[in-house]
Amino acid sequence: MNQAMKTDPFILRRYFALAIKNLRRRLVRTSLTIAGVALAVTVAVSLGGFMLGYRGAIDRSINMLGFQVMIMAKGCPYEAATMMLKGGTGLLYLPSDTYDKVKSDPEIESITPIFVGVAQKQGSGIRDDAGATNFSVISGIEVLSYKVMKPWIALKSGPGYDGGRWFEADSKTDVVLGFEAAEYEQRKVGDSFYASIAPAGKPEPVMHEFKVVGVLERTGTQDDGTVFMPIDVAREYFGRPAQLTILGIKLKQFNAVKMREFETRWLKLPEVQVVGLQQVKNTLVSLVATAQTMIAAVAVIAIIVALIGVINTILMSVYERTAEIGIMKALGARRGSIFQLIWLETVIICLIGALTGSILAVVGSSLVERAIRSIADFGVSGSIVSITPQVIMYAVSGAVALGFFGGLYPAWRASSMRPVGAISKGV
Amino acid sequence: MNDFIIEGHGLKRYYQRGNETVKALDGVDVSIRKGEIVSILGPSGSGKTTLINLLSGLDAPTEGTLVIDGKSAAGLSEDELVEVRRGVLGFVFQNFSLLPTLTVTENIELPLLFLGLQADPERTRRVIDAVGLTDRANHLPRELSGGQMQRVAIARALIIEPKILVADEPTGNLDRATGESIIALFKKLAKEDGLAILLTTHNTVFGSQADRAITLEDGRIVALNGPPNKLPLH
Ligand SMILES: Nc1ncnc2c1ncn2[C@@H]1O[C@H](COP(=O)(O)OP(=O)(O)OP(=O)(O)O)[C@@H](O)[C@H]1O
Ligand SMILES: [Mg+2]
Repeated sequence: MNQAMKTDPFILRRYFALAIKNLRRRLVRTSLTIAGVALAVTVAVSLGGFMLGYRGAIDRSINMLGFQVMIMAKGCPYEAATMMLKGGTGLLYLPSDTYDKVKSDPEIESITPIFVGVAQKQGSGIRDDAGATNFSVISGIEVLSYKVMKPWIALKSGPGYDGGRWFEADSKTDVVLGFEAAEYEQRKVGDSFYASIAPAGKPEPVMHEFKVVGVLERTGTQDDGTVFMPIDVAREYFGRPAQLTILGIKLKQFNAVKMREFETRWLKLPEVQVVGLQQVKNTLVSLVATAQTMIAAVAVIAIIVALIGVINTILMSVYERTAEIGIMKALGARRGSIFQLIWLETVIICLIGALTGSILAVVGSSLVERAIRSIADFGVSGSIVSITPQVIMYAVSGAVALGFFGGLYPAWRASSMRPVGAISKGV
Repeated sequence: MNDFIIEGHGLKRYYQRGNETVKALDGVDVSIRKGEIVSILGPSGSGKTTLINLLSGLDAPTEGTLVIDGKSAAGLSEDELVEVRRGVLGFVFQNFSLLPTLTVTENIELPLLFLGLQADPERTRRVIDAVGLTDRANHLPRELSGGQMQRVAIARALIIEPKILVADEPTGNLDRATGESIIALFKKLAKEDGLAILLTTHNTVFGSQADRAITLEDGRIVALNGPPNKLPLH
């Protein structure tokens, strides 16, 4: 060997180029194998994004409620959970003196009573098909304590909204609209707003004309779709003068112990349930946990199938290249060189598959989001599939790690081929 | 110090086939000097390939002593044998054995990759010129004739500047005229570069053109010819 020949500092790049050439030899087979990996990674990334995004969405929605505990009429906890976030139907009511009783609890930092009712919108009820859009969710609130609970709530300003204000506690005509409610109805400050409300126990709804005195900024919560009016007025119109729907409560100290203490103190009241937000969160999480487990199982199966596909492809190509590998050994390739080459081919397949899969998952995430929401609306606002760079990083490094281990066996088989036996099999 | 590049004594290679022992080589002495062409002749199944595999360190003898370029090769494992032949031996096979996805140039430079050496375009061109493939440097193997492919294989063996070129039936898949041109190339390389060349062939005419011819039958040497002063008699 000539002493003048230099060692190559970019040797790995040349192995890489050779590996790529080998993979391109059977383009269809390689592509199918990559597609398998991509599919598995797509499922895994979407699932990871969903798990992460969903929890984030729940957290956001719950934090935006402003309170950590609520007292409401006894009922299904699932319903309670979704009602709390969606302001849904099937409303149950508490006697309003519950407020006076609970208010005195020394552990309470702040408390706000809310009366929720559903009114039929005027002007859109007949023409449109039946649906949620025909109804308005009306919240009767006590402005002062409500604002303490949700300090971020703000009145919109700008053309058409200037002069916006909250209503007086005894005003029978003033309402404040949430951002979306105003947008949907195309109402601005000073406009009229009509709603027909059926008082409890009476068959005929009564038409009311209100004046929009303020419009709220977007909050990203169900407040956006709500029509606010004074709690006493709402009670009167809905024919429930001594009732309320929810007591939103912020405790001075919020932890499991305090929560339990608070709960036992007030569960003695009949018809009352005390719901902690942690509980709500758990309920919502368990709602989708089964679905997530199923998707996870699919992801695991897809990954296993993809890995078997990769190993199979590489093994096949190793056996096809038995003679070639023997020749490379005769040309001076050490066991390690062959190992490196075959192993590199496996990792490349997994890496390309993982990158393709991640791109597919990102591109398809809005589709996935829509699909999930169409199957079940979880009552959380904001994106429920959040594919972060971290999720992608995990998926890609996971796939590469699988390639890393999956490639060991074929690479070992190839590197153990003997030059003589390999060559005599012919090309 | 002698000038033998390969020295083998009492070489045996037995294969176990079921209960039967196949004595592919049964006690052979062969030594090869620098710059000489040695051909191994013999009928099919006589042990030519087996012998050339042993002498080139592709396979280990069952019994006997073997020294390649000053290093003992007997009783070595597969991994140890690589170290003995790396950079010392260049191989040419009957079936040309080029990598189909690599161009002529890339095929020729492939051994450098395994030796961790940088390819030098100037050198590669010289080797390509030496085997007469100047205008085919960027072709793929499937675009070449059998004789051209064999020339690529020879160039690939030469790129590492080996001390000995080993060729198992290099002309076996070639027509007569092409085979002759390959043999002529070998002679030129031995003469000009002082390369030792060890080849097997069925063709006695090619065999007789070598400095020495060793004829095998049933794993034993049955005839040695060549200049008497060069005979490795022990
Ligand atoms: N791997 C093996 N296992 C068992 N027997 C083998 C093996 N390789 C070779 N043999 C046997 O050893 C003997 C010598 O084989 P070898 O290949 O060396 O012959 P050859 O002279 O090269 O023949 P040819 O001219 O046909 O190439 C044959 O009988 C063959 O069957
Ligand atoms: Mg043979």
